[in-house]
Amino acid sequence: MTDCGCDKARRDLEEYLRHEVCKTQDSDIAEHLENCAECSDEALVARTLTEVVARACKESAPEELRDLVLTRIREVQASH
Amino acid sequence: MFATLDRPVLAVREAWDTPGIDWRVMNDQAPAEPDARSQFEEQALPYMDQLYAAAMRMTRNPADAADLVQETFVKAFASWKTFTQGTNLKAWLYRILTNAYINTYRKKQREPYQGTIDELEDWQLGGAESTTATSTRSAEAEAIDRMPASVVKDALQSIPEDFRLAVYLADVEGFAYQEIADIMKTPIGTVMSRLHRGRRMLRDLLADYAKERGIDTAPTKERGSKAAASRSTT
Repeated sequence: MTDCGCDKARRDLEEYLRHEVCKTQDSDIAEHLENCAECSDEALVARTLTEVVARACKESAPEELRDLVLTRIREVQASH
Repeated sequence: MFATLDRPVLAVREAWDTPGIDWRVMNDQAPAEPDARSQFEEQALPYMDQLYAAAMRMTRNPADAADLVQETFVKAFASWKTFTQGTNLKAWLYRILTNAYINTYRKKQREPYQGTIDELEDWQLGGAESTTATSTRSAEAEAIDRMPASVVKDALQSIPEDFRLAVYLADVEGFAYQEIADIMKTPIGTVMSRLHRGRRMLRDLLADYAKERGIDTAPTKERGSKAAASRSTT
């Protein structure tokens, strides 16, 4: 493991956090985040943003919609 | 009873290419078993809340979102025979949803075409580099974490549509880049760039919101900012 430095860590941070393929080795980014408070804060902001967006976008479909969909599907099936 | 299902299947086949599926094999298969409907209901309907949430972010209103979800399920059921069991059903449904949205609702909404925004340079979009460099980032994370859901949704709503969709699919649904590329029918590089820029814009909007309300992201003012935040939301 070698610390990849700030530039590479910042460039590939999103991919690292999402476990996507990137140019820098995962372990090198991980090591850098342990050594660098600024980049680890940046990672915290990135993770928080994801959590907050996911939380804010939760919705429940109205009960009528469920019934409507079931009815429509049955109609589709009946017409064939 | 499924003998006449060929027409919608063909329509779907024209609408988008599904890599890796041999359509002749699919069409030559024995007619769908009689319990296809209950199988569909059992497997696909549990995604209704998720599809509705996505439709809400796409159409921005409950009535259109409900219509879009309905259309998605009807289309999905009509081409249920073409779904390969064991493959990613959620991604399959999202592809139908996104396709239905682009083909009907986006046209209906007559939004200005935003496609060329991908070609804009970062500086043209504003705030490519962090505008929060001076305040500590852990404080920024805390401020973001306390953001009311309505503010986050408004911010998401105000970023360009293709960026919004990329952010939604990645952050809310947790789709991988390749899956998003398949759903949005764009190269993976475009997905990455939309996602990065969309999140950058979102972050700047939320930082602006915090600033406007005097929620300083500097940790020393935290106590005062909490009071300000609660005042401003009541």
